[in-house]
Amino acid sequence: MKLTYNWLNDFVEIKLPPKELCHTLTMAGLEVVSLEEKEGDFVLEIEITSNRPDWLSVVGIAREVAAITGAKLRQPKHIKQNTLNIQPPLVTIENKKDCPFYSARVIQGVTIGSSPDWLARRLAYIGCRGINNVVDITNYVLFTWGEPLHAFDVSRLENSSIVVRRAHKEEKLICLDGHTRTLNDQMLVIATGSSLARSRAVAVAGIMGGEESQVSTSTTRILLEAAVFDPVLIRRTKRTLGMQTDSAYRFERGVDMQTAEFASGQACRLITEIAGGKVVGGKTVKDAVCKKKMISLKTSFVNSFLGIRIPGKAIKKYLSPLGFELKPKSKDVFSVGVPSFRQDVRGPADLVEEIARIHGFEKIPKTLPQIKPHVEKSPARDMACATKDILVGLGLQEVITYSLTDKALLKCFAEGADSDPIEIRNPLSKEQAILRSTLLPSLGRCIAYNLNQKQEHVAIFEIAKVYLFAGTQVKETLALGIALCGARRHFLDFGSVREDLSLLHLKGAIETLFSRLGIRGYAFTPSPHNVVEIMIGRERMGRMRPLTAQELVALDIKNADVFVLELLLEKVFPRADLHKRFIPVPKYPAISRDISFVMKEETLVDEVVAMLRMRGAPLLRDITVIDYYKGKQIPHGSRGMTFSCTYRSEEKTLTESEILPLHKALCESLVSAFGATLR
Amino acid sequence: MDFNALVTQIESVAQGIDTEIQNISSDADLEAVRIKYLGRKGLFAEFTSFIPSVPQESRGKIGQKVNFLKDRIGVLLEERKRQLGVVAPPQEKISLDISMPGMGQAVGRRHPLTQTIDEICAIFVQMGFTVKEGPEIETEFNNFTGLNIPLEHPSRDAFDTFYLESKERLLLRSHTSPGQVRVMKSRTPPLAVVVPGRVYRPDAVDASHSFMFHQIEGLVVDRDIKFSDLKGTLEVFVKAVFGDDIAMRFRPHFFPFTEPSAEVDISCIMCKGKGCSVCGRKGWLEILGSGMIHPQVFAHVGYPSGAYTGFAFGLGIERIAMLKYGITDIRLFFENDLRFLTQF
Repeated sequence: MKLTYNWLNDFVEIKLPPKELCHTLTMAGLEVVSLEEKEGDFVLEIEITSNRPDWLSVVGIAREVAAITGAKLRQPKHIKQNTLNIQPPLVTIENKKDCPFYSARVIQGVTIGSSPDWLARRLAYIGCRGINNVVDITNYVLFTWGEPLHAFDVSRLENSSIVVRRAHKEEKLICLDGHTRTLNDQMLVIATGSSLARSRAVAVAGIMGGEESQVSTSTTRILLEAAVFDPVLIRRTKRTLGMQTDSAYRFERGVDMQTAEFASGQACRLITEIAGGKVVGGKTVKDAVCKKKMISLKTSFVNSFLGIRIPGKAIKKYLSPLGFELKPKSKDVFSVGVPSFRQDVRGPADLVEEIARIHGFEKIPKTLPQIKPHVEKSPARDMACATKDILVGLGLQEVITYSLTDKALLKCFAEGADSDPIEIRNPLSKEQAILRSTLLPSLGRCIAYNLNQKQEHVAIFEIAKVYLFAGTQVKETLALGIALCGARRHFLDFGSVREDLSLLHLKGAIETLFSRLGIRGYAFTPSPHNVVEIMIGRERMGRMRPLTAQELVALDIKNADVFVLELLLEKVFPRADLHKRFIPVPKYPAISRDISFVMKEETLVDEVVAMLRMRGAPLLRDITVIDYYKGKQIPHGSRGMTFSCTYRSEEKTLTESEILPLHKALCESLVSAFGATLR
Repeated sequence: MDFNALVTQIESVAQGIDTEIQNISSDADLEAVRIKYLGRKGLFAEFTSFIPSVPQESRGKIGQKVNFLKDRIGVLLEERKRQLGVVAPPQEKISLDISMPGMGQAVGRRHPLTQTIDEICAIFVQMGFTVKEGPEIETEFNNFTGLNIPLEHPSRDAFDTFYLESKERLLLRSHTSPGQVRVMKSRTPPLAVVVPGRVYRPDAVDASHSFMFHQIEGLVVDRDIKFSDLKGTLEVFVKAVFGDDIAMRFRPHFFPFTEPSAEVDISCIMCKGKGCSVCGRKGWLEILGSGMIHPQVFAHVGYPSGAYTGFAFGLGIERIAMLKYGITDIRLFFENDLRFLTQF
């Protein structure tokens, strides 16, 4: 909303210089976004919130200035429908719900010409194109009082008739902007004709007039429309037609009936003054006027709600200039009459806002609420935070990627190929048309992006929702995705080594994560196509695998292996056990003995360890792989392993001789059970 | 050397060593004895190399003995050195170049948005709030109607929304405010809760817009919550995030779910309020929306009329993080360039 300082000053004496005025308005909720000096005047641009259509007018803002500064609002006298009614127009309204108010006034003998200087300049300053004196006046009235008006050339109407009705299906109208619009029965039109059925559209109601009936230089008789239309209808029509006009902007927010009537009178006065002519007839059709809304307001409520102490007197002083009528009901209670142009005010809270605004938000003190403790664990969030900390500690970088993705990429991934994607009805682009059912394509993209930036080592994770169909229901569930690519460098005391990332790194991350979360009984189960299922007990938690050649091509990754993992945290977290119980540190020292042996390549370490554990119990407390080797000294098809066995007793310090037979037996069992060769 | 010879030799060393060391009278002799026993080609090196060939059952015992004796010789030599008053020559320059890169494990980092969310949540948790998360797929009721946002009203435009292809008219929440509805429906006051999370709006992506971003919603509801409490609470928050010398102002605004509603500005952290390009010469930066919870919202969640008052606020995480770190392009958060992420 644009207006000028002088224009505003016509309606209220402004006691503030322009800059201060802007600050004052901003702090009252009318945010001034720009101030520009123009030949002795100042143009202000104000952002008006959608709840205050009354502020879409100079008078509305003047009312605000009056309330804040204590100046008086200057309104011209209301001009009533004149009694002279020689040629009353014919107004038919199909449905009063669509159009609760319609006023038509006919002015005869106007001379169409250019607008006087003051009018032309004001409109120009606020960026409104001048047309001719009559149209400019309707615009001037629109900006001054917020009521959109329209002037028709009566000679283009059938018998000065106006019909307000829904458009017929496929009805066409050439609008003022020269474009032909195709209408439908969800749109309201102003038509002319002898009856509802036999009428032709001359305007899209509340949005734009038609070309044919517009006021032109040859016009001498005009019909001035002032109306109120159903905001929802205007809004839908405007959207469907893709038209935004100053008129529609106000109608969709709600126009006040009384203001409409008043503005119509002011427009007639200005037209007859400037363009000459005489009002020769008028007709107003209106729905029953709603009763004035009354709200009961307690001074004590205002004070306790805002945390201030102001007397009832102050409340009256704040609200009256805004058009509210306050009558004291008792010592503490006012009965507040709400002006018709304030449809947004419905209850005491709305009045409290008005009081707070005029009092000044700045003057309200700062206090702290008494917050009562409420300890509530949010397991999923706490667990996700713990997981992030653990993964970060493992050198993984957290990423955040878009939940929306493109179907094509999703379909390339095994995880996305088999599920029905959840589609967005109104996507911005193909790239964001699907709610992802897996994090992996997005993580793959991240890897590709960073490889392009010449990163040698990319190790990333994301914890975010994935979206799936559970039957026909849409379900969102928390997932963890990890992606690894490249190699990292370590310094050892003899120099640096390059460590290529692999599936075992993913496994290591999950082992650490699970052990830190107190998860037991998990396993990594190989399945076809290099996929490893991650199990807890018998339940599948997720899987890890290298990206396939097809996926790498889709991501445009060349000459690099990428390893990915996805876990459904909704399944994992309930298995976590963060309750720690102290286990006494061992009283007696342990003895370690190593076993070095060569075993067949296909023998699984897990099997060997399980067997040794079983046979070594109870003295064998721990068994770990400390070295492995494949190469020259090892026969083809085999690998060398070194295990470290830890023996300990709870009762005494073990001696060499006590464990020797057991250790020997374990060594021999490797030979007998797995055909291993001891080294 | 066979096993028995080894044992004999160890025994004889053990017997004679005290006297031998006690008789040393010069620094040079001290070093000669050290080399004789402990040097790289000394007697003990020989003993040690022999141990693997010792029968298994005696191996442990012999090993122990050798180690014990070796340690003892070291101790005796040191002791004699002190007795002789030999001053240790100044240590040679160490061969280690400490300017070499340190050896260690690089750790990753949480995403800067996660860090910002956690930091903000922690501030509110210190004030007694609990953290609660809600779903991203929402109903029209929770996203709009319950929050007093009429379906056919221009106020909906500010919350432009992605809808799912589904019968139930599900949508992606366009703000975290549905969290208010969910929290209030699930609990009775007193309440003090913050709800962080992802939100979605169909905005074309540019330096300051993203179709996915993050918000934190906060609400406090009790029998006697005042507008002044909102001001006090947000001041604590703003100062905790941006520092004590930051100024804050409350401007009346409109949100359908609060009444009165206020927008909160802070003095520009770049120019300290003088006016610069970051704040658009205004000296103030808009950082969050807030207000007293609208009675209609209480009605929608089924609270008895007039029983409670409360305040709510919502803020954009990206905006806070951008201001805090001086980031000028919102897209950086979602590009996940390691050169960006590892700065935080």
